[in-house]
Amino acid sequence: MNSPTADARQVVRAAAQWLALLESGQANEQDRANLQRWRDSCATHEHAWQKAQALRQRFADLPSALALKSLDRPEPGRRVVLKRALGAVALVPAAWLISRQLPLEVWRADLHTATGERKKVQLADGSSLQLNTASAVDVDVQSRRLKLIEGELSLNVPGASPLTIQTRFGQVIVSQSEVCVRQDTRGCRVSVYNGVVQLQPLQGPALTLRSGQQINLQASGAGAILPFDALMPGWREGVLMAKDQPLGDFLRELGTYRPGVLRWEPELEALRVTGSFRLDDTDRVLALLAASLPLEVHSRTRYWVTLLPRKNSV
Amino acid sequence: MSDAAMPKEQTFHDLYRDHRGWLESWLSRRLSNGCDAADLSQDTFLRLLASSQRIADLQEPRAYLLTVGKRLLSNFYQRRSLEQAYLAALAAMPEDCAPSPETRWLLLETLQALDELLDGLPRAVRRAFLWSQLEGLTYQQIAERLQVSERTIKRYMAQAYEHCLLVDL
Repeated sequence: MNSPTADARQVVRAAAQWLALLESGQANEQDRANLQRWRDSCATHEHAWQKAQALRQRFADLPSALALKSLDRPEPGRRVVLKRALGAVALVPAAWLISRQLPLEVWRADLHTATGERKKVQLADGSSLQLNTASAVDVDVQSRRLKLIEGELSLNVPGASPLTIQTRFGQVIVSQSEVCVRQDTRGCRVSVYNGVVQLQPLQGPALTLRSGQQINLQASGAGAILPFDALMPGWREGVLMAKDQPLGDFLRELGTYRPGVLRWEPELEALRVTGSFRLDDTDRVLALLAASLPLEVHSRTRYWVTLLPRKNSV
Repeated sequence: MSDAAMPKEQTFHDLYRDHRGWLESWLSRRLSNGCDAADLSQDTFLRLLASSQRIADLQEPRAYLLTVGKRLLSNFYQRRSLEQAYLAALAAMPEDCAPSPETRWLLLETLQALDELLDGLPRAVRRAFLWSQLEGLTYQQIAERLQVSERTIKRYMAQAYEHCLLVDL
């Protein structure tokens, strides 16, 4: 790389200062006239001025929100920290992006949601399928099977012809009923919102679950059938409800809807939360928590947020 | 590559044979992924091939390779952190506002070029510049956000323009 001459540097500096003066809104008629004279006086001046305008145009052409979040992130000085954090996950987003670009096949569709995303799909037979944050489902319409690969789905089958949800911990057979299934590495929770659902755990006999009942399936078999409040709104309505819930549990749940890192001090873990929060703006949920509990939100960026006990709280 | 004609002179082949393993293990201690280390080590040698440096004159090859390797490593982290921020932002967007799949990679490339362009600017200057260019904030609004004077913002902006225009020069 050749280093620019002192003259060229001087011209660039002048162009930059003219532009900043103009943008500041403080330029008067005299300044404008002087700028015009400067541009006219030499071809290199005009050239530098045009390049500065082209630079502005490069930014103006970008989708602003996306560009801002990408370019205004934790600075490279944190590379050492980032390095450790990024090494393991770097391949995941790329794989995610590729899979989302694959065309949907007719008979075998892969549905995904990103972190924080929720999606509703109408199936051809009138059934509706909803995916919660960070979930993946294979849909095989021909054999009327859904495979929950990860995350959480809700399925409403109004017709008599059953759809089978396959999980790693057993099968759920749904017809004329509505069910939510949530799966993680340890197990799978099945909640019936309407009608009756047949279950086949990996171990043990088949079970019948009715509206308002919930069960946990694990590799070792099914747990006890427990009641739950099927009328309480939840993620399907875009709401996160808490009734006197430990803050730690609440934040772990909220964190599944946020890309990036959400951390909190251990002493906040046992604070209690009650309320109904909208999932489409989780930043606002954090702000609401800070308004009602003795804690502060520290955001390095939107993707790196730490909750700390409020310092001057009594 | 044969060096039979000049057996005494250090060739690219010699360098590659003698130092590639060493460079790769240096890089892999700083990266969690062995493939990345191998890629970066190849890139380092490619830079050497493409540079005007006469290989026969290279006195301290390891020092030279390390300098180039460190620069590539730092670019690598920077690109990766940008990529991650970009993907996170993309993931958080409603589907119908997000750019189409075809333009996503193109956009990432553009952002990477601009990210390199802005590299080296102090944090506050960089933010002031981005807010002005991308959010269209006035200097007064930026001054309020950063809690400095408008005069300082004017100086920041001039600094940022100068920096970007010099890189392009």
